Amino acid sequence: MDKLFPAQEMGSLAKPVWRIKGYRGKPLSKEEIAEAVDWGKILGVENLDALVKLLSEGDSPNRRKAILEWSAKYAIRFFEKAGLDIVFDGEQWRSEMYEHVIRNVAGFKFLGYVKSFDYRYFNKAACVGRPKHVKSFYLDEFIFTKKNTKKEVKVPFTGPYTLVDWTFNEYYEKRLGGEVKDFKRRKFEAKRDFVFDLIKEIMRPEINELVNSGATWIQIDEPAATTNPTDEEMKLFAESFNETVKGFKCTFSLHNCYSNYEVLAKYACELQNCNQLALEFANRDSRQTGIGNARKGYKDIKLFEDYGFRGNYGLGVVDVHTDFVEPPELVRDRILHVVKVVDNPDRIYVSTDCGLRTRTWEISFQKLKNMVLGAELTRKALE
Amino acid sequence: MIGCYVTGILPHPKELIDVTQSYDRGRASERELEMAFQDATLKVINAQLSAKLSYITDGMLRWQDLLRPFTENLRGTKMGSLARWFNNNTFYRKPVITGEIRREKNIVEEIPYLKYLPRGLPWKAILPAPYTFAQLAENQFYKDKTEFMLKYAQILKEEIKDLAKLGFGYVQLSDPALVYKSTAMSESRGELDTINEALRAAVKGIPIKTCLQTFFGDFSQILPEALDFPVDHFGIDLYETDFEKLKEYSFEKGVALGLVDSRSSLVENVDELTRVAKEIVNSIYHSKMREVFICPNCDLEFLPWERAEEKMKVISSLAKLLREEFYG
Repeated sequence: MDKLFPAQEMGSLAKPVWRIKGYRGKPLSKEEIAEAVDWGKILGVENLDALVKLLSEGDSPNRRKAILEWSAKYAIRFFEKAGLDIVFDGEQWRSEMYEHVIRNVAGFKFLGYVKSFDYRYFNKAACVGRPKHVKSFYLDEFIFTKKNTKKEVKVPFTGPYTLVDWTFNEYYEKRLGGEVKDFKRRKFEAKRDFVFDLIKEIMRPEINELVNSGATWIQIDEPAATTNPTDEEMKLFAESFNETVKGFKCTFSLHNCYSNYEVLAKYACELQNCNQLALEFANRDSRQTGIGNARKGYKDIKLFEDYGFRGNYGLGVVDVHTDFVEPPELVRDRILHVVKVVDNPDRIYVSTDCGLRTRTWEISFQKLKNMVLGAELTRKALE
Repeated sequence: MIGCYVTGILPHPKELIDVTQSYDRGRASERELEMAFQDATLKVINAQLSAKLSYITDGMLRWQDLLRPFTENLRGTKMGSLARWFNNNTFYRKPVITGEIRREKNIVEEIPYLKYLPRGLPWKAILPAPYTFAQLAENQFYKDKTEFMLKYAQILKEEIKDLAKLGFGYVQLSDPALVYKSTAMSESRGELDTINEALRAAVKGIPIKTCLQTFFGDFSQILPEALDFPVDHFGIDLYETDFEKLKEYSFEKGVALGLVDSRSSLVENVDELTRVAKEIVNSIYHSKMREVFICPNCDLEFLPWERAEEKMKVISSLAKLLREEFYG
């Protein structure tokens, strides 16, 4: 990037009601269609009459596909209009980061819902056969995004370690059944086999297609990276990243959030070809302006520096779990604080902590605009 | 004797998941929620009965995490933020200790569905052990963790006494933090003495059998000190414990062998488990065999309900095979 502090979102954006209901084939109310039009005007989306016509039609496979395309176009314009430098389609084509991948590959079976916390559950799959790539699952959305923007495009890509950590490992545990006597050893060996088969059979073929179609930046999302903070598991995680990205002519970054950064920092230097670590900090921070003590949320940056990480940071300056809209001055001070710590402003990309999917479009839009303004203020402050 | 039982929270069956989700979205009433919990409790108790488990729990379906009844009902405690539950993709609410902790009423009495527990079989209760509660809480009041742990142990004792009065015949203290190893937690030998003291405060003079259930970590790391802990049985997670190290010790107390993996959906091969169980029992009991229980390594709630139900059948078949092996 030729300017300091390029701005990016981390991946997902809420799906508008007309996208959700429309894709399910449910009829839309006048208000819901009007909302699509209102946002379309704000975002400067062309040919809104065609969208109104489409949304008023009855359900069909073509209509569903067209609705996905429209919502992707909206999300792209949303990010562009907010002033981001790097864009994507807000993952409008994906059901969710885990299910989207698992549903589109062979070797897996969903077993049902298990508890996450309180009354929240997630649909957990088991690996029941050797994973197999049957069709590309990120390619179409990438090609569509690329065609619809002039900005730099980044593809969020669910990482292999997280997919494995969130999946029951029946196939590999069974395969090692007779061979490895110690149960703990067996489970770990089975996990290793699963991770590397998944990379070979699914991750690399998908990345290959993306790169061949012009992808220049892939963001590997690994929320589970530090779930098992032992040396053996962390080495497996680092190895899995390296194996995934090895040899491709493409820029790779890693996004990890709501995790144990004391652990991640220790292994960050083992990540090869990782141009950027996109991390969450804003939610840990105070809302007062100023640098130094007010910026307690950013103390872990020093850990990464002390362990010798010298890549770029996707610096989370916007908290995605609150409707509080960060003022540009607060964004500025968060960036300025980190500039001092890392001693090189080129290394900072301003970012949201994570994807904005839990916020409304109104809140997300204001947050992103302020993030961009904050980056601008910082550039001025450094002149 | 060789018995079998579950060791923690059971999964919510699909019907209950649907109602809890509707409730969360404001589409089901308190009453509908309560009815759904009662129906599901009956279902999970019946499943334990039909699997022929030797001790029965109410399934703990109302427990949103192991600590929650204490987090919500102890005076001096408030509910904190979400935190990861050890190395799982599940989360619990951190208890924040803001004042002198006091037990003003029976903490778990309102939660177990006593009316559904069967008359003819012993009932088992499960509570957080002192060390785990002290490790996972955020202490803003007591001078240090030890003071807080000892205070909690006293409360625990009152709780266990009341459960015994209600008719429970067995209490398990769940202690994952004692064996879970990460960069953040690890206890020294000196600490093990303090833990021993806390356990003594919690269970001394209790009229029912007690088990210290360890999971998510290797039980052999706290040996031999743990063998002196004042409990009747030790629960061991065999998917985390080094078999060979375990076999080096001689036990004079009962064990609950976590031979079924609650964190894997693969249904175990009973023949292999029988072989492993025999090897362990033969090695740790040199002179006299004590009470042995076959159980899941940790809470079955990590599995979808149907798979948990299958695993209950596995522990039961395994216990039966072992009884035949050892007692003919």
